[in-house]
Amino acid sequence: MRIYVIIIFCFLFCGSLTAYSHNPEDFVIAEIERGQMNFENEEIAAEYGAALKRQRARRLAAMPLYKKFYIFIKAGFEHIIPQGLDHILFVLGLFFSCITFRSLLWQVTAFTVAHSITLVLAAQGLVQLRGDIVEIIIALSIVWIAIENCLYKEPSKWRYLVVFSFGLLHGLGFAALLTQYGLPKENFISLLLAFNIGVEFGQLAVLLIAFLLIKLILRKNWYSNQIKIPASIIIALVGLFWFVERIFQF
Amino acid sequence: MRKLIFISALLLIVACQQQSKMDPNINPFFQSWDTAYEVPPFMDIKDEHYMPAYEKGMEENLSEIDVIVNNSEAPTFSNTIEELERTGKLLGKVSRVFSNLASSNTNPQLQELQRELSPMLSAHYDKISLNEELFKRVEAIWQERDAIDLTSEQRKLLEDTRKQFVRSGALMSEEQKKQITEINSELSGLSTSFGQNLLAETNGFELILEKSDLDGLSEGIIAAASDAASQKMEKAETKEEEEKYNDKFVFTPHRSSMYPFLTESTRRDLREKLYNSYIMRGDNNNETDNKEIAAKIAKLRAERAEIMGYKSHAHFVLDNNMLKTPEEVYDLLTKLWKPAVKRAKIEIADMQAVANAEGQTFEVAAWDWWHYSEKVRKEKYNLDESAIKPYLSLDNVLKGVFSTTNKLWGLSFTEIFDIDLYHPDARVWKVTDKDGSHLGVFIGDYFTRSNKRGGAWMSSFKGQSNLDGRERPIIVNVCNFPAPVGDNPALLSFDNVVTLFHEFGHAMHGTLTDVTYGSMAGTSGPRDFIELPSQLLEHWASEPEVLKSFATHYETGEPIPDDLINKLLKASKFNQGFINTEYLAASLLDMDWHSISSEQARQLDANKFESESLKKYGLLDEIAPRYRTTYFAHIFSGGYSSGYYSYVHAAVLDSDAFEAFKEAGDVFDAELSSRLRETIYSKGSTEDAMDLFVNFRGRKAVIEPLLKVRGLDGSN
Repeated sequence: MRIYVIIIFCFLFCGSLTAYSHNPEDFVIAEIERGQMNFENEEIAAEYGAALKRQRARRLAAMPLYKKFYIFIKAGFEHIIPQGLDHILFVLGLFFSCITFRSLLWQVTAFTVAHSITLVLAAQGLVQLRGDIVEIIIALSIVWIAIENCLYKEPSKWRYLVVFSFGLLHGLGFAALLTQYGLPKENFISLLLAFNIGVEFGQLAVLLIAFLLIKLILRKNWYSNQIKIPASIIIALVGLFWFVERIFQF
Repeated sequence: MRKLIFISALLLIVACQQQSKMDPNINPFFQSWDTAYEVPPFMDIKDEHYMPAYEKGMEENLSEIDVIVNNSEAPTFSNTIEELERTGKLLGKVSRVFSNLASSNTNPQLQELQRELSPMLSAHYDKISLNEELFKRVEAIWQERDAIDLTSEQRKLLEDTRKQFVRSGALMSEEQKKQITEINSELSGLSTSFGQNLLAETNGFELILEKSDLDGLSEGIIAAASDAASQKMEKAETKEEEEKYNDKFVFTPHRSSMYPFLTESTRRDLREKLYNSYIMRGDNNNETDNKEIAAKIAKLRAERAEIMGYKSHAHFVLDNNMLKTPEEVYDLLTKLWKPAVKRAKIEIADMQAVANAEGQTFEVAAWDWWHYSEKVRKEKYNLDESAIKPYLSLDNVLKGVFSTTNKLWGLSFTEIFDIDLYHPDARVWKVTDKDGSHLGVFIGDYFTRSNKRGGAWMSSFKGQSNLDGRERPIIVNVCNFPAPVGDNPALLSFDNVVTLFHEFGHAMHGTLTDVTYGSMAGTSGPRDFIELPSQLLEHWASEPEVLKSFATHYETGEPIPDDLINKLLKASKFNQGFINTEYLAASLLDMDWHSISSEQARQLDANKFESESLKKYGLLDEIAPRYRTTYFAHIFSGGYSSGYYSYVHAAVLDSDAFEAFKEAGDVFDAELSSRLRETIYSKGSTEDAMDLFVNFRGRKAVIEPLLKVRGLDGSN
């Protein structure tokens, strides 16, 4: 009778709480017919990830284009600030290496053009490289740029080429993040563009903030050795740490 | 420059924005939810919030009851019955979230909590149902019922409330109450043992096979059996035990393992072995035998019913149902029995013909059924599931079920994307009525995952009530359809589609409800009635006109061809003789066990009782009841005693109700649709269920439409 009391009073005092049809409350019956539940944390996490991707796709599909565009700009921006710490360091590495604004502009442009190329190619599935390898070389590229800053007063002739090829690599890194995010088949190109614009905004914001900090607060030039060398050493050390860390995860 | 600083600061803020409305230091169940439509703030609810909320909820509930009991004014409907409706709000709030998530998004902690809570809750509700002072107030109002001015809904609420107290023993003497309490505690122990024994018996048997024993089995089945063996190996404690499973294949009496084996294996000896292990569970004369326990349970139930003034346990249970007496139930079951057995005999002949053609010399037996019926199915009902699935993408099926309710009742569904639920696969829609008013919220959680219980069900996160303002419900459907792979759309089988419509029928019952008192809302009716609104909606899923409107190819957009529809509908009649016979046999067995007096139940031999009972009805040797006594957990361990017949009773109702639309010549007939909503879907349990049906159909239900739907009318 206890069973009745429970059912009845659930109805009476809590409204219709009971679930119906193939009633999940009949645990004994369920366990006998289907066996015990098996909780595999890895499996649950994988299922959750796949569901999250489906949810993003559904939410995106329901949005008007301008909103999607805005979301992808935001996503691109967020992949620099605050998520893309290694890209921030790379861009800062470029920042501290340049005596003139013009040289900085060219380097950033080379970097941007390069990562846009690989981002598009990778997003369309035309280029593929293992994510963990890309991550390791990205860490290495940060170290490289920072050390070069310390060794040379001015960037070398090969600098633009080096920056360009590292840009190609960073693009693959962005693409890996973007596929996790799920790019809808419709509006593919325009949303890829939006994502890239977001990334550029992120980069510009980093440069802007660094510039403002140094120029207005420290009242120094960014290329002065008092700032350039210590900043580059810190960048190199962080990059080195990541490099080692990622090698061990490899 | 200042402008630049401002812009960069702004950019940073945009990048780092975060939001949270609730106070994270306070248990979310103790705060009011200012979320959209009062959807629970799932993101803020953590596992450790449940127990304190339950404890406080029970405490509050009891003090609310005290306030009602200690009211110095004379008992009235409004200061007692209506006030009772208002009690237990916090308990209801936490219970709804917990009981839903403990099934649909569970984890070991929640399952442990569930075991811990179950006795606490039943003790809590006992305190209320056995509160004598509270019953005195209810009884006082009941005695005056004809003198006071009550609406029919209020009258039904008064009647139901009193009845629950009476059925809990309120009218009995102290001596009788003591007896009942003793019986209840003994029964509760026996039910638990029954379930544990059955679990042990089901897990205890395994058929360990060599590579050479796998004749006929397909790759997937073999892989699963090999996985089962590896899992056993991993769990093995000794080297010897490990060796036992090395390179072997394991099958068990769990249905998911047994049915594929019985269907595919060409080894008749092994089929017999596995089948027998299944039907002998709890009947092996060992320490986990259930025969004596079942007989004891039946006897105690009969004793209890007699103390309470009923002729038998079945009389006691049915007193609350749509069919009110065992006679009515027997009448229904025996009427269906003959056509079912007749059809089953034809199916046996069909299978025998296949076996003979194979050159077999044996007579088809119970353990051959799955193997040979599959061969008959391929021959006669050849239906390729994979040809149908592309027409049944989840999104198209949802459009189909939404448009069905739109044509019936003018409802519209708008998906909401900015509400976070308990899992990203759960989706949420706003339901709007014909006149544009808000009707409720519908949550659909369709894909299977490893932290969801199996099966499919409907439940709610918020109930409907008009007592203190218009409260509209939040309804949820949970299913276990296969999740899509990669970026492909989710494609359903036709069985899945029927399940989706079924659960959606429950959801409509929970959404269209429009009653004053929450305890009578939606699906609160008796067990042999509540499957009517769900099973009824299934009929639209198989209606060619409806099917064609939503079953369009996910790539080409072409509607499903007529040829496929015909095959699909024909296949739904496959094996119905067997399905109905095994189900009816179990239902009759359930009724027999619970219609006996305590005198008759004394010293009963369960096997003898069962075989005599089945012989009386004339069950075929080739078919066992869906559940034999010793593994009939629904009735001896779950809450279905004298209630297993409910499914077919509701099927009689829904087939007959749909027949009304067929007679009208339009499955969306406007007058019938609105009458259906008016008389059944909106009414909850505010009227007697039989009256509800008669109000719709103009008469009681007849079985002929069901026989036709299931192909038991001799037409095929």
